[in-house]
Amino acid sequence: MSESFEPKIIAFVCTYCTYTGADLAGTSRLKYAPNVRIIRLPCTGRISPMFILKALQQGADGILVSGCHPGDCHFTHGNYHARRRWMVFRTLLDFTGIPSERIKFSWISAAEGHKFAELINSVTDDIRKLGPFDQYKNLIRETEAPATL
Amino acid sequence: MTRILLSDKLDNCVARWRKAGLTVIGPVKKETFSSYATVENAAEFDLGLVMPDRSIKGLFFPQTEPMVHYSIKKQAIETRDFTPPSEKRIIFGARPCDASGLAIDDPLFGWDYKDDFWFQRRNETVIVTIACTKADDFCMCTSLKLAPDSTKGSDILLRPLQNNRGWQVEELTDRGREAFKEIADLLQDGSEPAAAVAVVPEKFNLDACVAWLQNPENFDSTFWKEISMRCIGCASCTFLCPTCHCFDFQDEGDTFTGIRRKNWDSCSFALFTMHTSGHNPRATQSARWRQRIMHKFNYFPGKFNVNSCSGCGRCSRQCPVDMGITETLQAISTLQP
Amino acid sequence: MTIQEKYKARVKELLSTGAVKMVIGYKPGSTAERRRPLFMRSPEEADQLVLDTACIANLAGYLVAEGLLSDDKRVGIFLKPDGIRSINILAAEAQLNIDQIVVLGFDIDGQEVNALEGESAGDFSALIESIKDHAPEAPRNPLIEQIEQMNPIQRFDFWQTEFSRCIKCYACRQACPMCYCRRCIVDSNQPQWINTSSHTLGNLEWNIIRAFHLSGRCVGCGNCDRACPVNIPLRLINARMGQEVLGAFDHFAGMSETQEPVLASFKKDDSETFIL
Repeated sequence: MSESFEPKIIAFVCTYCTYTGADLAGTSRLKYAPNVRIIRLPCTGRISPMFILKALQQGADGILVSGCHPGDCHFTHGNYHARRRWMVFRTLLDFTGIPSERIKFSWISAAEGHKFAELINSVTDDIRKLGPFDQYKNLIRETEAPATL
Repeated sequence: MTRILLSDKLDNCVARWRKAGLTVIGPVKKETFSSYATVENAAEFDLGLVMPDRSIKGLFFPQTEPMVHYSIKKQAIETRDFTPPSEKRIIFGARPCDASGLAIDDPLFGWDYKDDFWFQRRNETVIVTIACTKADDFCMCTSLKLAPDSTKGSDILLRPLQNNRGWQVEELTDRGREAFKEIADLLQDGSEPAAAVAVVPEKFNLDACVAWLQNPENFDSTFWKEISMRCIGCASCTFLCPTCHCFDFQDEGDTFTGIRRKNWDSCSFALFTMHTSGHNPRATQSARWRQRIMHKFNYFPGKFNVNSCSGCGRCSRQCPVDMGITETLQAISTLQP
Repeated sequence: MTIQEKYKARVKELLSTGAVKMVIGYKPGSTAERRRPLFMRSPEEADQLVLDTACIANLAGYLVAEGLLSDDKRVGIFLKPDGIRSINILAAEAQLNIDQIVVLGFDIDGQEVNALEGESAGDFSALIESIKDHAPEAPRNPLIEQIEQMNPIQRFDFWQTEFSRCIKCYACRQACPMCYCRRCIVDSNQPQWINTSSHTLGNLEWNIIRAFHLSGRCVGCGNCDRACPVNIPLRLINARMGQEVLGAFDHFAGMSETQEPVLASFKKDDSETFIL
């Protein structure tokens, strides 16, 4: 694997906790890896597994999903629903060969700017070590090529 | 005296064709599934199959094919056409029904607009058909006025020898003769008799069916509802069919850039005729099944003078609920026109 | 009297007394091994009824056919335990009124067909309970073990090979009693989440999403697997997901008409070991 590989990571975060946490990291002038593209959603309960597939389809090497700690959900229990869904979806991805190391989940509250910065760094490091998601990218490339029979 | 190709020479033939730059394709069975696939040597062929699970159609009309790459810029839309990929191929061991299916679809792909993708592949592919000595319960070529040794759509017809040692060679087209020049010295003269072709009993009276279908009064017959009640509306019959040719265009990409693709579509799907308004002229599964039968045996022959069915029987063979053209036409032949 | 004759008499009685407007069962198919769905609306039509070990298809999906149950009349249907679980789920998801269904229950045990006691879905709850209790010790498909022992790259390759054969005929979806959406996610294009094209990527996305939508809902009837014209082993994914929801949430699909869907409910102490 080449040294220069920089992973593309998509983070789906809830606006009330993790996004505010990211904001705090920014206003606190914390430095963290620039590999993550953040997509803000109202709640982790809104984060459909389809978003994860879409991110992979667009060439992501890793995905982070993050929201409020249990009990802290702005909508009372959106994150509890999300937790179940992830549990099942993770198993499914794992069984179909999409490594669970590439799909990370976390709880980050609005007060955890430090945790956010650290997590982004560690997730980026982990994915960088895994290298590009070549198997998936080959499939994407195949869709752009003339039909083979 | 006829020209004979012995089975033990087949591997040499494959090597010879490959050396001449041809991709060699034939029936291949992998675990539980068979299709026409590319081979490197003759051992990969499975010539004992009644027919591969997948028809030959996909080799000429793939299930998804990119047509044009587009990108929308501020002032203009830039496009890049995909051109039909060029590849010289020889399909060895095609079934007569599959080869006929291609000939049936030729006029369709060329009547008003000439489909370059189809014809480029047609022109670059030699089809070597082997006459059937085996048939199963679903085969029905004879009911469609074809036969287990039809030459329709083939460039070469091989008739298996009675002693099972090889095939009699019947050259049908220049394209076939050209490809067999490569292996001329591997053929020999012989007088071995050909094996009897498979017995495929006639399952329905096609003329009676067509007469019934052509009567406009039968369009609204309750028959359609009864016969299609168990149809679940999947497309496995249309997609495995060697002649079903409907397609849809889909844009894949985002707002600014992407690829427009030509994908198989099926009259079995409710969405096939769904209007943007939400109105669906074929609102029920029975209307969709009627369309499939009418199209194959009434509309298509009305336009191109040939039935859009080659009698392979795949529609019935793999239907999840055991429906199919055979059963429908059998039932129609018992009705008064 | 054989079970087939017994049920034939019962069907005739149900139809002639007007207790039901239709009974959905099986009749002979195009070969000796095949059975076809049969829709009986008059006692005479029941003469074609067959009930034997070849009656393996789950017919529950026909109950949600447009308009069938909209007139509040009752419909009889031949169901194995997996089919009964299916109608429980359909009822729990508000797709049908279970009081409209008269169950003609049967089970296949090797070479034998046994009648199941009861006529409304609720009558079979003890039976389904015992199937659930025995589920963890049921023999696992050896292929599942094999796949789990692969590394992710091998697993990806395994499924890529399988999915590359997919032609997106949607026989799996159409044959599945649980796939009742009027507009399937793969047919939705605003936005277009997953590719409709049948290239391997589109096939992979389709099969993953379908498996996800069936997680905790699949009863393992095998309709999809049998319907697949290119023989993709769909049962493996669905069975694996069934194990997951049973292990993680003690959820066994189709226990009763009031069972909460596993992915529309939660417990505060659900496992979250994977969350950073």
